[in-house]
Amino acid sequence: MTTIGWSGVSTTAFSIALFAYLAAMLGYFHHLAFRRRAVVLAASAVAWAGLLAHLVSVVARGLAAGRVPWGNMYEYSSLLSLLTVAGYLGYVELRHGLRQVGGFVLMFAVVTMAIAVELLYVGPAPLVPALNSYWLKIHVVAAIVGSSLFALGGVLTILYLVQEARERRAAVAPPPIMGGAVDVEAPPDHAGSPDEPVGGGTGRRGVLPPTAALDRLAYRTIAFAFPIWTFAVIAGAIWAQRAWGRYWGWDPKETWSFVTWTIFAGYLHARSTVGWKGRRAAVLALVGFVSLLVTYYVVNLWIVGLHSYAGV
Amino acid sequence: MRRSLALVWRTLRSMRTALVLLLLLALASIAGSLVPQAANSPEAVAAMARDHPLRAELYARLGLFDVYGSWWFTLIYTLLLLSLAACLLPRTRALVRNLRTRPQPAREVDGFRHHAAVPVGASPAEAVAAARRLLRRRRFRLSAPDGGAALAADKGLAREAGSLLFHWSFFLLLVGVAWGKGTGFTGFAVIVEGQAWTEAHANYDGNLREGTFFGEDHTGIRIRVRDFEDRYLPDGQPTDFVTRADLLSPDGTLLERVDIRVNQPAEVGGLRVYQYGYGWAPVLEVRRDGQLLAQAPIPFQQDPPPRGVSPLSLPWRGALKLPSLSPQLGVELDLWPDARGLVGLLAGRPIPMTEARDPVLLFRVYRGDLHAERVQRSADLDTRDMRQIAAGALGLGRTVDLETGEEVEPDAPGLTMTFAGLRRYTVLQVSRDRGLGLVLGAAILMLVGLLPALFSSRRRLFLRADPAPGGAVVRVGGFALQHADRFEEEFRRLVEELGRAGGPIRESAGVGAG
Ligand code: HEM
Repeated sequence: MTTIGWSGVSTTAFSIALFAYLAAMLGYFHHLAFRRRAVVLAASAVAWAGLLAHLVSVVARGLAAGRVPWGNMYEYSSLLSLLTVAGYLGYVELRHGLRQVGGFVLMFAVVTMAIAVELLYVGPAPLVPALNSYWLKIHVVAAIVGSSLFALGGVLTILYLVQEARERRAAVAPPPIMGGAVDVEAPPDHAGSPDEPVGGGTGRRGVLPPTAALDRLAYRTIAFAFPIWTFAVIAGAIWAQRAWGRYWGWDPKETWSFVTWTIFAGYLHARSTVGWKGRRAAVLALVGFVSLLVTYYVVNLWIVGLHSYAGV
Repeated sequence: MRRSLALVWRTLRSMRTALVLLLLLALASIAGSLVPQAANSPEAVAAMARDHPLRAELYARLGLFDVYGSWWFTLIYTLLLLSLAACLLPRTRALVRNLRTRPQPAREVDGFRHHAAVPVGASPAEAVAAARRLLRRRRFRLSAPDGGAALAADKGLAREAGSLLFHWSFFLLLVGVAWGKGTGFTGFAVIVEGQAWTEAHANYDGNLREGTFFGEDHTGIRIRVRDFEDRYLPDGQPTDFVTRADLLSPDGTLLERVDIRVNQPAEVGGLRVYQYGYGWAPVLEVRRDGQLLAQAPIPFQQDPPPRGVSPLSLPWRGALKLPSLSPQLGVELDLWPDARGLVGLLAGRPIPMTEARDPVLLFRVYRGDLHAERVQRSADLDTRDMRQIAAGALGLGRTVDLETGEEVEPDAPGLTMTFAGLRRYTVLQVSRDRGLGLVLGAAILMLVGLLPALFSSRRRLFLRADPAPGGAVVRVGGFALQHADRFEEEFRRLVEELGRAGGPIRESAGVGAG
């Protein structure tokens, strides 16, 4: 097939994926409101189909451009949303069965993809010299994988905060009488584990999953993302050393990935050492998520630095 | 005095201080990403000084135009280093102590988060011995064998060790960054094709930043540029920039012939040489009455293009200054490497000028005071005290009379300027950073340490065997400091295996987790 052909395949598959995600998102939300099992199963199937189409789109894009499909903002956004959806479907839904989260994750993906096609689209083309380096390819992939996990963690954190507020409000009312295991005495020298669930909501039915589950998953996703992000920053520095002769120059992109790194390091400390759990740690994670978005959108699009080479 | 020192030390030693300092460093760097930095964008700083003099004055006082070189940034950085070391030392000591001592058995094992009792066929001593073998195989550390019926085991010191490795490596990384920057330098060399450039302080033309502890040991190495080449796609997107150069030792012997590309630096004598930029250098000759006064290639510059406009479609700017004449003379020059570019821009259809084709120089001649004593960029002419006397366009190989702007023969009487040739120049970034190896090594160790620090967990087990009818009953208690939910499963499996290791069970097993 010609490159024009692959390019067409890529954009068509991208649209299919976008609409599949949109439909699946509506399905998941419908399930939240009306709890129809058939609907959520259908939504899940549609989301998987969308993921497949998305994968086709990314691969075709690579074939069209004759290089790895992560060379500009449009392609980053596409891959970012693909990985976020994959992370949700593979980990949150298959492993942990938290389907209630699906609509929100897909909403993130849909918005990211919509911004990508509407504002960031450029045709497939080779890379400018500064970007043509395998360290850069490694760096970008790591950054996107890390970002997608942080994004997943961010969505889970937002939902945690929402649910936490609800549970707190509900706790003011007389508690419903419910059975359940009670953790009698804490062991003598047992310090809390960083991924130990917090919040009383282990069983209360609500639209969203209980806080304990959200909290734990958010922590795990972020803890998993952190070393990947660390690696991404290091790989980026190695690339910068080769391309620009300095591994670190405080250009806006570098600065903001450092800020994001710092905030999430603070979050991990808050969980494991300071003993900040629940809401305060979640707010820190949220700040980290915002910083990630700044690193991604604001710096790439508005603040001029060497990285805006990557262009739109 | 003693007391306040102790207070400072205690504050530094707290993890919260380190994290706050790290956060301050992040905030400071955000400031640096929002306020233009003199090192990266001098034009923006100059623009602010022009448009908002008061604000610029305030910013300059606060060091906001050079955040990363300001005293307060250095202060935060230094305090962070101190604080990190201060809080890591006690942890390291504790880890070492911990590694030296063995776990101590507990008297009661039922009080732990997870506990179970398993009846086994073996005697209490045999059951404990079997448990020792099992747990050793599972890589637990064990309490000292004392022949008694109690045992303690733990696992997962890798977590604390990894965490310390991560934190110490971060410390080393910060040290490496400071050392490398402090003892190194970065500068830019502008070299026209065919010319050689010597690595020495004076030759950087002001584009040199040296670290605080740099010992002025420039190398004297010479870089002779054979040629510079750039390649583009038809739409003007660049695909390759390459400087072909000879590297010469200070005494002139050829060390190496290199192609320096973006992403492909050259290394010589502890220096790294990078492709940074390029430009056009018209060769100009100035004559008076046919006598050559000056002849040189002049590197032209380009202003940053407006957004969305390719720099390739814009002209290059330069200036010819003749301060030795009186009155002084200066010529502002615009170079269009491709005459079609000029036509294209005028017609509103900019075309990328990727190669020289019928190059043309537009010139404006001024007479008056050049103010050469003031610091100014070589491509700028300070025309405040000058008056324009002529203007025109000049093709390659042609000559003009600078006073009338008319085209003349090179040997014509009067002051003439000839556009004798057009060459490329390359801009190479030359730097030395001795901290590179340390920084890279530390970064790798950070990653190595981070994985066990995040994903392994500290687990402790306590076990005792008491005589029971038909054998013994083994009681096990334990907990995990991290990943408690995963430990639940591990604990259950361990209890099962302990039961099996203790010989055939005669009664039904009483396994239960609290
Ligand atoms: C200077 C004082 C610091 C102290 C006393 C300190 C202490 C600790 C402690 C006790 C842990 C927990 C280890 C464990 O759970 O096994 C930890 C984890 C960690 N620290 Fe620090 N830290 C300090 C500074 C920093 C800094 C400056 C960073 C920079 C990013 C950092 C990043 C991390 C990370 C990523 C973890 C892993 C989180 C986890 O174990 O869940 N720390 N730190």
